[in-house]
Amino acid sequence: MSEETKAPEATKAAAPQAAEETPEPVDPRIESATAKLELLKGKITAQFGADVIEEAFLAKFQPSFVIKNESWPAVVEYLKVTDELSFVYPEAMAGTDHMAKGYCEVYLYVHSFVLDMDVALKVRTPRDEAAIPSVAHIFSGVNWEEREIFDLVGIKFPGHPDMRRIMLEDHWQGHPLRKDYVVMD
Amino acid sequence: MAEIRTEELLMNIGPQHPSTHGVLRVVVKVDGEIIRDAEPVVGYLHRGTEKLAEDLQYTQIIPYTDRMDYLGSMLNNHAIVNAVEKAMDLEVPERAEHLRVIVVELNRIASHLVFLGTYLLDLGAMSPFLYAFANREKIIDLFNRICGARLTFNYMRVGGVKWDAPEGWVQDVLDFVTHLRKEMNMFHELVTGNEIFLERVKGVGIYDADTALNYALSGINLRSTGFNWDLRKNKPYSIYDRFDFNVITGKNGDCYDRYMCHLDEIVESMKIVEQAAQQIPDGPVMGKVPKILRVPAGEYYAAVEGARGELGLYIVSEGKDKPYRIKWRRPSFVNLQILPKLLEGQSMSNLIAVLGAVDIVLGEVDA
Repeated sequence: MSEETKAPEATKAAAPQAAEETPEPVDPRIESATAKLELLKGKITAQFGADVIEEAFLAKFQPSFVIKNESWPAVVEYLKVTDELSFVYPEAMAGTDHMAKGYCEVYLYVHSFVLDMDVALKVRTPRDEAAIPSVAHIFSGVNWEEREIFDLVGIKFPGHPDMRRIMLEDHWQGHPLRKDYVVMD
Repeated sequence: MAEIRTEELLMNIGPQHPSTHGVLRVVVKVDGEIIRDAEPVVGYLHRGTEKLAEDLQYTQIIPYTDRMDYLGSMLNNHAIVNAVEKAMDLEVPERAEHLRVIVVELNRIASHLVFLGTYLLDLGAMSPFLYAFANREKIIDLFNRICGARLTFNYMRVGGVKWDAPEGWVQDVLDFVTHLRKEMNMFHELVTGNEIFLERVKGVGIYDADTALNYALSGINLRSTGFNWDLRKNKPYSIYDRFDFNVITGKNGDCYDRYMCHLDEIVESMKIVEQAAQQIPDGPVMGKVPKILRVPAGEYYAAVEGARGELGLYIVSEGKDKPYRIKWRRPSFVNLQILPKLLEGQSMSNLIAVLGAVDIVLGEVDA
């Protein structure tokens, strides 16, 4: 009894040293995001093997995966058509040129109404001859997004039904969102 | 009787055509009166906002967003400040949040009023346009008083809003809502029951919820199919969870439902404006933010419910004062993709009815 009442005082006094032993309460958002990350990681790994996921991490509570280039459409389709996952709603797609890191990246943000969560899927390609298999046959809604990424970032999407520039004129040279693009004066 | 010679004709609608609401070109293949194929051609208004933004500090980007969906500039402002605040974990003062909600919802009403006016104009009715714009003008005047601009407001800042509401402004907002409530009845009397109007929009341009999701449609274009999805409810941001309002959905996913959703959403937005104006507390309108905004290195996606759907921002930051890459998820751009599917097999006279109901703004399509 007396030990119990003493206990809080003792921990208070020892707080500076004991900081490592009694970790700070984990942010519930991180906890639930980690659980979602692990769930999806397990599903994808069980279906395709561990090497299709190049990276899996939380980008500020957002479960994110970097998927191997060749497996990109297969993984996206699997996440969409599997009933218990049902990532059916492609909310956003973007392309980025990471020049210093030597690759271009495409970001696809899909939502599942079944799991009530979003997942950020990413795929990388070398900057030269940049190409990522198209997923336009899986989501009609990314057709123009892929065309825009091709136009502005210069990533080709083999398998896309209509791989033309969409914003700039057809005779435009270069891709403006590449970091080494020289802006005309 | 000799056989009638038929051939497919290639027709250009736009880029300069009053019914395309801007510089949109639609290349249409017609067989007699029937559309066989339609291809929207965009890019005539492309200004490279995403490229420009890479050389700008976050605050400097805000005025550029005004020029994207120029009918919903407040919503565009809100999208970017909301995304940056979420990435930086910044607190916004209560008064600023309320002011934001008021101007954003007023802007949504103004945008829907423009839809109402121009859509009826597209269908050949002149007078609703005048009534709609007369009411929109009152909202524009309110905006003019709070931020000094009528179209490109540049009103919001990361961490709050630039100006507090002038004396009596909040009361005038409440008076306007009372006024617009009465006007809504007039719109319904003027348009909703009109048989010619109904003939042109009922059962035209139908699609179901699965198609809408596959085409990544959002906003009214998605909700008109009966699918209940509104970011203000489903992924609450700002202080929307405090207000009592309904998400308006349609049933059949046709042009008529999209028209009705617009009108009903005006009513719901008025509810939100009213509650926010009644609850607005006193206090500062700018929170404590660093002088130079540096978004921590990483990548972020955050979206708000724009007037036309999900208005999202994807920010890649290297921890500097300028974004490494910023991408707008523009609802008009995404929504327009479904147009060829909707037009195939339709008669030529339905083209404008279908296009108008998709409700695009070319400034946002092309960015």
